[in-house]
Amino acid sequence: MARIELEQVNLTFHVRQERGVRLKDFILKRLFMPSRNPGMKVHALRDINLRLERGDRLGIIGHNGAGKSTILKLLAGIYQPSSGRRLVEGRISSLFDIALGFEGEANGWENISFRSYLQGETPTSVRAKKQAIAEFSELGEFLNMPVRFYSAGMMVRLAFSIATAIEPEILLVDEVLSVGDLAFQNKARERMREMMAKAHLMVVVSHDLDAMPQMCNRAVWMDHGQVRAMGPCAEVVAAYRASVEGHALAA
Amino acid sequence: MHAYLGAIWKCRFFWLSLVKMDLRSRYRGSLLGLCWSLLHPIAMTTILCVVFRFAFHQALDTYAPLVFTGLTFWGFISASVIQGCNCFFQGESYIRQFPAPMAIYPLRNVLGAAFHFGIGMMLAIVIGFVYGPDVREIYGNPSATRFHQLLSLPSLLPTCLLLLMLGWSLSILFGLLSVRFRDTRHLTEIALQGMFYLTPVMYTIDTFKNQQRLTRLLHCNPLVPFLDLIREPILFGRVPSLATYALSAAVVSVSVLLAMAALRIEERRLIFHL
Repeated sequence: MARIELEQVNLTFHVRQERGVRLKDFILKRLFMPSRNPGMKVHALRDINLRLERGDRLGIIGHNGAGKSTILKLLAGIYQPSSGRRLVEGRISSLFDIALGFEGEANGWENISFRSYLQGETPTSVRAKKQAIAEFSELGEFLNMPVRFYSAGMMVRLAFSIATAIEPEILLVDEVLSVGDLAFQNKARERMREMMAKAHLMVVVSHDLDAMPQMCNRAVWMDHGQVRAMGPCAEVVAAYRASVEGHALAA
Repeated sequence: MHAYLGAIWKCRFFWLSLVKMDLRSRYRGSLLGLCWSLLHPIAMTTILCVVFRFAFHQALDTYAPLVFTGLTFWGFISASVIQGCNCFFQGESYIRQFPAPMAIYPLRNVLGAAFHFGIGMMLAIVIGFVYGPDVREIYGNPSATRFHQLLSLPSLLPTCLLLLMLGWSLSILFGLLSVRFRDTRHLTEIALQGMFYLTPVMYTIDTFKNQQRLTRLLHCNPLVPFLDLIREPILFGRVPSLATYALSAAVVSVSVLLAMAALRIEERRLIFHL
């Protein structure tokens, strides 16, 4: 059931120096003079081919800005490919940017519902899970308080508890293992391990090269939006390491 | 198209609960409760009635229901448009995390506005009933009573549906526009202000029947047929003509088609412009 296929996927987007254009400028400048706010084209992903079947555990490595997170967002369906084909079958759970997406005015309980609904739950299924989510988050009384009073750590705790309460077929993770204080981190790591074991398919972005071969059977090394190497995890990690250390020696 | 509507329906619990929360947080801590929705149109109606009574010697019993229906309608349109300008920014954090259809974010605002509109309509019906015109004259039936007037009210149901579609599509259009162009909201507020005076909200087109050019201009306003749809049954106990419905439906269709086309282009790119 769980399956991911990317075929010749490209992703380009245009960014501008200033956030957004003004309608006034757009009309005036178009007619009379060249723009003072030129756009830049970013080729974020180039010709990506990827095929993952049930049971695959893929790790994505590479330096910052290589397109690791972009791939993850593309797989999640948040970015659409500019060209090429994306096929994802299976229920997705994504763990990235999880501290975003809270309604500040609503309390913790309500936010549990909102986010669960967005993950495809129904009022009945949420009611069944709410208690477990609350317990895992250990927020107790704070759940009755509007989320806008939460600290960053509490927010992440709640987000993590909600996001990991479903049983996904496809799990997409972006270096979220550092959540909350030390005690919660251990708990979160335990929960992640459980989820990874249960998920039919997993893609994880991480800089933790030591942990990677234990978590994953395959790996992709991204470089400037392109796949530099793909294959068994240990081999790709070793190649990446050699390259990084080579650079360090040369410098 | 079908799949898109299906996706919207699939996350109905999400947007419905957000609408519910918006309404609750608006009413929370206010003794007035539901009356809060009505405060603005009632206050405006009172002010306008006083002004028009002294300035133009308007008779209150016909003027009050006219203005109140007009303001309730205008409240819905301006809320759809102005809040629509913000909708994608408001939903940004969700958009960055979940691949839900974009049309649900404007829907959140429009349903909230529709709720206020619905409450306003109920009061309008009451006012229309109390201050209603002489029904015996309208129906040409000496035994007609006030209650005959109520028989025309079911004609408001298709009207509400049309308005909902109009509000939703306008919200989508202005939402997408403001993501692309940051000054949209500012310009829209000015344009709406002008539009308010060009729409028969606090007058009727008949007020200017001696000025042909102005009347012709007012008839070009695409919002006019909607006001007729609302006022005919509430103020006069008449079912609006089919032509009025057809005209409104045509306006809604144009707006919906534009919104669909804009969504088709922007849906995938929206996130890069947020």
